[in-house]
This record gives sequence, C-alpha cells and structure tokens, in this order.
Amino acid sequence: MGEVKGFLKHKRQEVEHRPVEERIHDFAEFDLPLTPEQIHQQTARCMDCGIPFCHGAGCPLKNCIPDLNELVYKGKWQQACELLHSTNNFPEITGRVCPAPCETSCTLSINDEPVLIRHIEFQIVERGFQQGWIKPLPAKQKTGKKVAVIGSGPAGLTIAQQLARAGHQVVVFEKDERIGGLLRYGIPDFKLAKNIIDRRIELLMAEGIECQTSVNVGEDISARYLKNRFDCICLTMGAGQPRDLNIQGRGYENIFFAMDYLKAQNKLCANEPADESSFITVKNKVVVVIGGGDTGSDCVGTARRQQAKEIHQIEILPKPPETPPPDTPWPMWPRIMRTSSSHQEGCQRQWGIMTKKFSGVETRVTQLQCCKVERMQKNGSWKLKELPGTDFTLKADVVLLATGFLHVTHSGLIKSLNLKLDDVGNISVDNYQTSEAGIFAAGDTITGASLVVKAIDSGRKAAVAIDKWLQQSS
Amino acid sequence: MFQRRRPRFHHGLLNRGLRGEVGLIIESGEPREVMHFCLLCGFGANAVNPYLAFETLDYLHRDTELPADMESSQIADNYIAAIKKGILKTMSKMGISTLRSYTGAQLFEAIGLNRSLVDEYFTGTSSRICGAGLAELAQEALARHKAAFQQRPPGALELDFGGEYHFRHNNEEHLWNPTTVTRLQHAVKYDDQKAYDDYANAVNLQAEKLYTLRGLFEFIEDKAIPIEQVESADEIVKRFCTGAMSHGSISKEAHECIAVAMNRIGAMSNTGEGGEDPCRYNPEPNGDSKNCAIKQVASGRFGVTLNYLSHAKELQIKIAQGAKPGEGGQLPGHKVTEEIAALRYSTPGVTLISPPPHHDIYSIEDLAQLIYDLKCSNPGVKVSVKLVAEVGVGTIAAGVAKGNADEVLISGHDGGTGASPLSSIKHTGCPWELGLAETQQVLVTNNLRNRIRVQVDGQIKTGRDIVIAALLGAERFGFGTAALVTLGCTLLRKCHEGACPFGIATQDPDLRQRFAGKPEYLQRFMYFVAEEVRRIMAQLGFNKFEDMIGRADRLQTRTAIDHWKAKGLDFSAIFYQPYVSDDKAIRSTTPQADKLGEHLDWQILEKAEPAIERAEHTIIEMPIRNVDRTVGAILSNRIVRKYGEKGLPNDTLQVVLQGSAGQSFGAFLAHGVTLKLIGDSNDYLGKGLSGGQIIVKTPEDSPFMSHENIIVGNTVLYGATSGRVFINGMAGERFCVRNSGVTAVVEGIGDHGCEYMTGGLVVVLGKTGCNFAAGMSGGIAYVLDEVQLFDTMCNLDMVELESVWKEEDKNLLYDLIQQHLKWTGSARAQYILDAWSDIVGRFVKVVPIDYGKALKKMRAAEQRDTETIPATEEVF
Repeated sequence: MGEVKGFLKHKRQEVEHRPVEERIHDFAEFDLPLTPEQIHQQTARCMDCGIPFCHGAGCPLKNCIPDLNELVYKGKWQQACELLHSTNNFPEITGRVCPAPCETSCTLSINDEPVLIRHIEFQIVERGFQQGWIKPLPAKQKTGKKVAVIGSGPAGLTIAQQLARAGHQVVVFEKDERIGGLLRYGIPDFKLAKNIIDRRIELLMAEGIECQTSVNVGEDISARYLKNRFDCICLTMGAGQPRDLNIQGRGYENIFFAMDYLKAQNKLCANEPADESSFITVKNKVVVVIGGGDTGSDCVGTARRQQAKEIHQIEILPKPPETPPPDTPWPMWPRIMRTSSSHQEGCQRQWGIMTKKFSGVETRVTQLQCCKVERMQKNGSWKLKELPGTDFTLKADVVLLATGFLHVTHSGLIKSLNLKLDDVGNISVDNYQTSEAGIFAAGDTITGASLVVKAIDSGRKAAVAIDKWLQQSS
Repeated sequence: MFQRRRPRFHHGLLNRGLRGEVGLIIESGEPREVMHFCLLCGFGANAVNPYLAFETLDYLHRDTELPADMESSQIADNYIAAIKKGILKTMSKMGISTLRSYTGAQLFEAIGLNRSLVDEYFTGTSSRICGAGLAELAQEALARHKAAFQQRPPGALELDFGGEYHFRHNNEEHLWNPTTVTRLQHAVKYDDQKAYDDYANAVNLQAEKLYTLRGLFEFIEDKAIPIEQVESADEIVKRFCTGAMSHGSISKEAHECIAVAMNRIGAMSNTGEGGEDPCRYNPEPNGDSKNCAIKQVASGRFGVTLNYLSHAKELQIKIAQGAKPGEGGQLPGHKVTEEIAALRYSTPGVTLISPPPHHDIYSIEDLAQLIYDLKCSNPGVKVSVKLVAEVGVGTIAAGVAKGNADEVLISGHDGGTGASPLSSIKHTGCPWELGLAETQQVLVTNNLRNRIRVQVDGQIKTGRDIVIAALLGAERFGFGTAALVTLGCTLLRKCHEGACPFGIATQDPDLRQRFAGKPEYLQRFMYFVAEEVRRIMAQLGFNKFEDMIGRADRLQTRTAIDHWKAKGLDFSAIFYQPYVSDDKAIRSTTPQADKLGEHLDWQILEKAEPAIERAEHTIIEMPIRNVDRTVGAILSNRIVRKYGEKGLPNDTLQVVLQGSAGQSFGAFLAHGVTLKLIGDSNDYLGKGLSGGQIIVKTPEDSPFMSHENIIVGNTVLYGATSGRVFINGMAGERFCVRNSGVTAVVEGIGDHGCEYMTGGLVVVLGKTGCNFAAGMSGGIAYVLDEVQLFDTMCNLDMVELESVWKEEDKNLLYDLIQQHLKWTGSARAQYILDAWSDIVGRFVKVVPIDYGKALKKMRAAEQRDTETIPATEEVF
C-alpha cells in the first residue's frame, strides 16, 4: 500500500485532454498524461485491500493491480512492466481504450473516487517502450505444431502470441490489408493511434508469428487447405454482423453502417489505398447517429472532425440515471449516464427515441420520422411502447446506424466447416473447442460484441485449451 | 517436511535419556514466519538456521526493496529480532517466560495428519481428525518442487503470489472472496433472495475446494416435512448473537447499528471489552434500543461498573479470545480519544493495557466466585463464559457448568478482529466443530449438559453452518465478521491502521461519517439465514429447532470427496455421541440452580428500607461469616436501579459488620453505601467498586500491629471505578490491580501493587512488595518509604518517582490519612499525623509518565483563555 490513508490525503486526479477547440481539427490522440509526481500521488491512494475487487471482480484479465500500484509507488517501473505483461498481452491498448471495470469495482469507488488504475497501466507500458524494456520473448524450443488463427483482432493476436511462446508455429490470416481488426479499422485514431498497433506487431513478428493479410479464408483459401496444412485452427473473426434497421425508407442513399463509416476514415488517416467510392464524408452535413453506445460516440467524434454542420445522436433506451441504480450495484459496471470526450466536442443527444421511417428526396435521405418510446416490463420481459402524440421529424443528410452487432458474420468458412452455432448466432464452443475437433474459437466470435479486454482474456484462455489439446494429440 | 525428522530425533534421544547431552540445530530453507520457528522450537530445536530466509533478504537488499544504506548484518539482525519478538509473544500467550521451557513443550495440536504419522514423528501431539500421511506429504513436496523448477513460458511470472493473507486469483482460496462479500451485500441492501442464495451456495458447496471441516460433512436424510410445519424464522433468529466487537475496535456508529438491529429482532448483541455509553440504556424516541443485551466482562474490566452490569440481559466472562489469545490488549495512547477514555474510565492520551489473565480467576472455584459476583450484581441476569476451541476445552466447559454459569461459548479459530497479528489470525485455536463436539461429549457424559446452554461462533456464515452447529450440540450462534460485511466491510484489512474507509474499524471522525450500514441490512441477513435453516430443517424432518440440538447422528462424512489429501480424514471423533440412558440430557433443559437464596444482602435489605426508599440516613449492624460472599452487590443493584448511576448521597446507608467477610466483600458497591467491616476479609474485596465506601478496621482488642499484618486478601479493588476504601491493616498481592478511579488508603501491601492501574489515588502507609506499579499508566500513588528502598521494589518501566514537596500534595495526603484515622481509628495513622513534619519527607509519589503529561496538558488547557485544544491532540 502506498500510504496509510493516502486516499484522504490525495484526491483522484483525472487525465485531462487537449482543449476541444484544438483537438477537433486533427485525428491525433488527446490525453494529457500525468507527470511522475502526480502518478506517485495517485498510486499512494491504493489501499492494497485484503480482497482487491479491482483484481478479483473488475478486471477480466485479473491484472495484479494492487501490486502494480505498489511497484510504481516505489519507483520500480520495470518490475511493474513485467508484472503487467504477465497477465495482459497488450496493455498499451487497454490503457487507452478500456472502459476500466477495474475502477468501478475499486473499493474507493463506493464512497470516494477510485484509484486511477487505467492511466497507471498506460504509464507503465509507455515507459516500458520508451526505456526499451519490452522485448520479444521467443520460445526456446519449438513443438513442431502449426496453428492457423483466422482474424487478427485482439483475441487472435493474443492467441498467436501465447501459442508462439509455447513453442508452436503460428500463422495469422487477416482479410483486411493490415493487421489489427477493429483495433485498426473500428476504433478512431483519436482514441488509439495506429502506430501503437504497429509497434506491438513488430514484437509479435519477432517472436516468430507469421501474418498473411488480404486473405479471406473461405474465399481466397479454403477450409480444406487449412485443415491439411495446420494441426489446428482458431477462429477469432469477431462479431461483425451489424444490426440493421429495416424500416420504411431504408433503401435511401446516405444511410450507412457505423463500421463502414469509421473504417473508411481510419483508412484515410492511414493513407491506405482505398476505393474512393467507399469513403464517406459528412462535411457541412447534418448527421444523425442512431445508437447511443461507444460506436455511436466514435461516429460523433469522427463527424466533428470531418466538420459536420450538425450532429445528433438518438438512443432508443431511456436516459440512464446519474448515480448507480440498484440493478448494477458495486462492484458491477454501473448503468449510469456517461459523457464521452466526443460528446464534449458538441452533440445533441436524445434518449427514448424510436425511428419509425426514413423519408427522402429522390434517392437521398432527408429526414427521420421519430417518436418517443417508453420501456416497461410486461410478463417478465422488457417491451417498448410508443407514446402517443410524440411524433416528430429530424432532418438528416447522413444517417449512421450504430445499433450494435448481432454475431459473427455467417460466412462461407463457418458453413464449410459445418460449425454449430448457439441460439443467438455465435459459434458454439465447449472450453473454446467448436463442434469440430481441432477447430477452436475465441473472442467476440463466441460471445458476441464485447470489450477488447475480454477478447484478450478469451484469447489467453483459449490458448491454454489449444496448447493442451495440441500436447495431447501428439 | 523439515519438521518430520527432528521431533523424531528429539524423542529418540529423550527415550534413551540422552537428550540433555545434545543440542539440535536445524538448517532448512523452509522456515520464514513466526509460526514455523515456534513449531521447530516447540518440537525440540535448540537453534534454527533459516538459510533461504537470509538469502531472500540479501536478494531483496540487492533489488532495492530494502534501504540501500543498511548493512547486511543489520538486516539479518532485524529479521532475527522480529522473529524473536514473535516467538516471545507466542510463548507468553501460553504463560511461558523462557525459551527453555517452550522448547520441546509441543504446545500444538495437529489438524489433518494421520495417527501413525503423528505417533511416530510428533509423539504426544493430539490429532483428532486424522488425515494425511507420509505419502501425501511426499506428494505435496514433490508438487512444490515441480512447480518451483518447472520451465515457465516466456512472459509468465516466476513466482505465484500465494494469496495467503490477501486474495489473489488462482492462488489460496478464501471463503470471503469477491463473490461472497458482494453477493451478501447485494442480498441485504436490496432484499434480494437470489443474491443470498448465490452467497450461501458459494460458501456451502465445497465440493471441489475444501475450506472447512463442515464442508466435508453431509446430512443424513430422513422423511422430509413441508416447510410450513417448521418453527418460524421469528423464533429462530432469537438464537442469534453478534460477536464481541468492542466500541474501540469498531466505531460507535457500527457498534450502535448492530445493537439496534439485534434488539429489533429479539436477538442479542455483545458490547465487547470496551464498556458502553450509559446514554444507550435509554430507549430511542422511535422505540429502538441501543443497549447491548450481552455485556462482556474481560480481563481489563474496562467500563465494568454496577450501572453497566445492571443493564445487561447476559454477562459474558471472556476467559479466552479467538482473536488475541492470552495476549490481552493494548490500546496505544494516541488511539485513546476523549470518547474512548470516558467509556473506559480513563484519561485521554493514556495507554490502556488489558492484563492477559483475569486476576480474579486462577481456578475453577475463582470462576464460580466471579459468576456468583455477577449474578449478585444483577439478580436474574444470565452469565456466560467464553472459551476457545482447543483440545481440552470440554474439561473447562464442565468446570464452567459446575461453576453455575448459564451458558458456555465455544469460539472457533476462524475470524476474530482484523487488527490481530497475522500469526494469531492464522495459527491459533482450532475449528469450532472440534471444540463444540468435545464440549458436547464431555458435558453429556458427565450429566451436566441439561443445565447449561452452549453457544458457538467463528466464521459462521450460512444456515447450513447453523444446522451443523446445532446437530453438534449448540443452542445459540454468534456472527462476527459476517455482521460487519452486511454493514459495508469488504475485508480491506487495514483495521489495525484505523484506516477503514467504510467507517467501521476506525475512530477517525472523517471516516466514521462514511459509515453507510443500516440496522435493516443486518436484520435481513439474520432472516435470510433463518429461512435457509428452515429449508434444511424441512428436508431433514425437524419441525422444532430444539429437536436438532445434539443430534450428531444426522451427520456423516461426505461420501464423494475427490480431493487426494482428504482421503484419510476421520470425523468419528466429531460425530461420536456418548451413550445416554433415558434421563441423560443432550441439550439444555433446566436452568442452573439459583444460589442467591442465602445471601446476606436479603437481610440487609429488610432493614435498609428507609435508606433505599427515602434516602434516610440509616445504620445497620450485623455479624458476618466467611460464607457470606459478595456482600453489598444485591443491595447495590437495588439502589442503582432506583437511583441510576449516581446512587444515593454519600454515606446514606451504613452497614457495620463484625466478623470475617467472605470473598468479594463490597463488590460493585453503589454510591451512598458504606460497609464498615470490623474484622478481616477474604480475597477480591471491593471488586468493581462503583462509588461506595468500604472501611476495614482491625478489632479494638487485637494484639497485633495493624500495619504489619494482613487483614484483607489478594486482588483487592480489581477493576474498581470509583469510591473510597480505608483499610486498617495490610492487603495481599495485586492491591488495586486495574483500579480506574478509587481512592484507597492501606497500611501495607504484597507484590504487584497498583498493577495496570489507570486512575484513582492510592496511599500505602507501610511496606510494599516487589513489582509495584507494573503496567501502571494512570492514577497516582503515595508510598511511605521508611527504609528508603522503595525504588528497588517499584517497576519503573512506566512511572517516575518524586518526593512529596508540593503543598497541594502534602495537604492531600494529610487529609486522606486524617480520614483514615477518623474511619478506622488507626494507630498507624495517628503515629504518622503526630510526626507529620518529619515523616512527610519519607513519602514517595509515584506518577505514571503518560498520565503526568496528560494531566499537565489538561491543566494548561483549562487555564487558557483562548480556544482550547483537546488534550488528546497534544499528547500525540
């Protein structure tokens, strides 16, 4: 523990951002990291609890948070960096984009402000890179087994690293041009700069992992090809199937899926060659984002930087309360009203809004017909009820659908492998093994859309299962 | 593994009569904690070289975990000093002063080792549930070796955390873990049955991971009955108590919340050792009561006044504690706030020390005497005795039953305060299943079970725990930690720092404001547990709770135990039921005999009516014999119930007794009563004196010198809080031990005078024995040091000696000796007053260091015109 009653002496210090006026003109990251003295005080707040809920209940990876805080407090940054990497393959990613369930489960969050855990993680890993402490750790002995990993998002890359370190030979197949999955093509640059991903990928390659990009397994190469050349296959393709809004007028132009919008902007930022027609700009346009989650928020921030004229975000569920409600008590992630950095940059938000139809002129959408809805429990399940007399119209030049993801895209690969799916369309697994022997799956592919940190955790556990299976099947 | 060889050598040498010629030195990489060294010494080692511990310290030094400017030898010395201190503490818990006595004493009990292993390698050690043998120990050693030397993949940690003292995922398992703590809190905050079920299942279902002995039991099924036929939860919760957690260890807010909750449901809360604010005896405007039903009488006797005793439903004598066994406690001066000092009848800023034993309990007869004393102080009150589960507790429980206690509490090794030293938390006492079973068996066999109730506590968490405890013989059940968890505790474990951010285990006013517990939470927990009990009772076919008590025949070892280490366990010693013929009870059926019938106070009360009813000055004369014990206590109870703490005006009722007084003469005497004894008295005179006055006068025609002869016994004025005593003669040992405010004049005393005193004024007009003022942290003493040798008789650790030169001291002393003369006609007093100007110079004033400072600050604060700073801040 840093200091006894350190939490009384030092208040939590939030990470500040570059001013709105400055940051909306570029796509660069905008966090202003704390100084070492400030970090020292922030780590002093940790109580080193007898039961650390940050570690035991909050963090899906079970990062050794009290121990990390203590090491940083004592100035033992390199040891902290090693300890951090023993549970988290990509702390520089989580240190930037994780919503930090560790912090909402910190005991100080009960009647005070939690320890600044995520930013401390960020500081540890960044210092590690600066000081050159983070090096590739190739396995000393090879097992002679070969594993194919389909999909290079966080789950896939975690599995690749863990299995490579266990001595197996790993090839990662990625349908896009570059490695990273949603890290690269889903999260905007201002949340996660892409050179951060490149920096980590260099290390992965130095550990002997081979990556083949622009290869769509199932189309460019067949499942049979993989089965012949690899001892096992792991599917980590994510949950890319977006939820559509099949209402009247859906066929108008300028109604896009959020992912297509964000991906196009990311490619532009990276100067990646892209089909001109795939690029979507909302400059000087009125944008309506349907969906109040993180993806919607990313659309808001991106639209702001593209100099949209007006940005609206509408959400069908009711406005969350300011303080944690009884159904999400500590240490659970509280269902409260959150205002993201993108919202701070300017956005008009409404809750409890349903879109009934799109109207347009010629082929283009021009407005949404909406109404207010109420959410009520009926026979044990939640239903939405339209409130009479609340119809209104919302002008829109561009509509972005950020209404969530259903499951993994049911591509040819899944069909040709004949894999069983569960009730909601995810690949069904038992201890990460699918219905087919030797074929594993992990990450969003099996759970549906979720967090990066959970993908890493899923990858680590799947790697253990795969390694065990490979050892047994020799 | 290392322990295996040596006791064998030790015993081998012993058996051949050669042990005295050999020293056993152990060299091993394993010992590192206090308990390890205690084990080695306890089983015969004369010296230990823990080479790996020293190497580890070197490594930490090089790794800059330890200050770089420290010498390696200093580091090693510090480690050795720390271990030494730990061993000394452990030894002193067993009343052992020298290492030589501890070596080979084998003061351990084995839990989970099989008979043949123990008999061969740890001869003479008790191991009641058998268990692992050499094969299992070997397997474990190999597993550890493998884990240590196994190649880990790149990036993985080299060493596991262990998780022994703080929870760490995938390391040591704990029953209080993120799931159980939060689900219990959800259950009580939101009245959520599903959350309670999650919590209870996480505790009860120990199929894979074995945490407790009871996790390995299962119920023997019989005809189930519908739950509607089972006794109501309202009745079952009345059997629940909360553990003894003092106001001092926890905050006032938490302490009162617990009392209110338990009183609301007809159950009982326990004060713990720290006394209680008298304003809690008045009900709240809304009808709630903050008065703790069980009041504890511990070795320090803090706050144990007549008023305190009179407001209890049950008085609990704490013989032993699971938390800090045998150590007594020490509340450092800086934690004795004004509030705490007031409750404990002490001075702010002055260290409070609880003696390890009760100085009035040196035998079972003494215990019976104390039980009698307490029953006299509050006729009708129940008295319980708290013991700790350890091998042999059954015998002590039998003594307790014979001593007329109404209840015996068997306290298990789990739980206890978070502020305890870690070696105490982990390694002292044994599971309540063992202690309870033994107690039940001994009481039943000796035909004592019918007249005493049995309570059990020690990490009781769920209804299943309750049912198992009942089947093993318990009538009542205590909850300690679990109760605190419902009020917000998350086992953060900074209790010893007072840094509890939930306002529970702290006295810091800022932190106390954060207390968010509500009585409803604890009430709900009690009812959730009671309902779970009912569900199990229905399954087992019991409609009355009482029918379960002592029915160990409904328990057996779980058949499907997978764990390789659990295979050798044998619980037959726990499930054993002594053979009972028709009239032998296996549970409490009758109350203890009322022994107050012959008490002298009933005769006094008949004559004292004018004084008690109308505060008229009354003098009564009667003879007294040594079978008249605890004279004055019943009388005093009557007075305090009518007049409150302040009692009657001074000297309203005077009782003059001629003869030889029995034990505890004038115990808990109320203000307004003067007992004048012409004759002599046994031990414990003035125990717990609560404002009254006691005079002991040598009879007129006595041929002996009063100041050279003992007329009152040992341990006089133990835990007395206020009042005046004049003794025309000598007292025995431990005069005024734990005195908190009485003024006493005596003409000579034995050893250990004024031990652990925290307040009051003592004048000794003659010889003292040795070790005067040991642990004295408050009050003042004046001793007539005629032979100028007092400084050799006085323990100077905590006090300073001065001569009596200030006018105010001289006047005070003169005045007291004059009063002594007036009340007793003492020749000694006359002699001193006649030669006053010569003799006053031979008096020595004994002033405790802490106390002196505190007094100076208080006086300075009074004299200041500007804003006063509380005395507590400045003494820090």
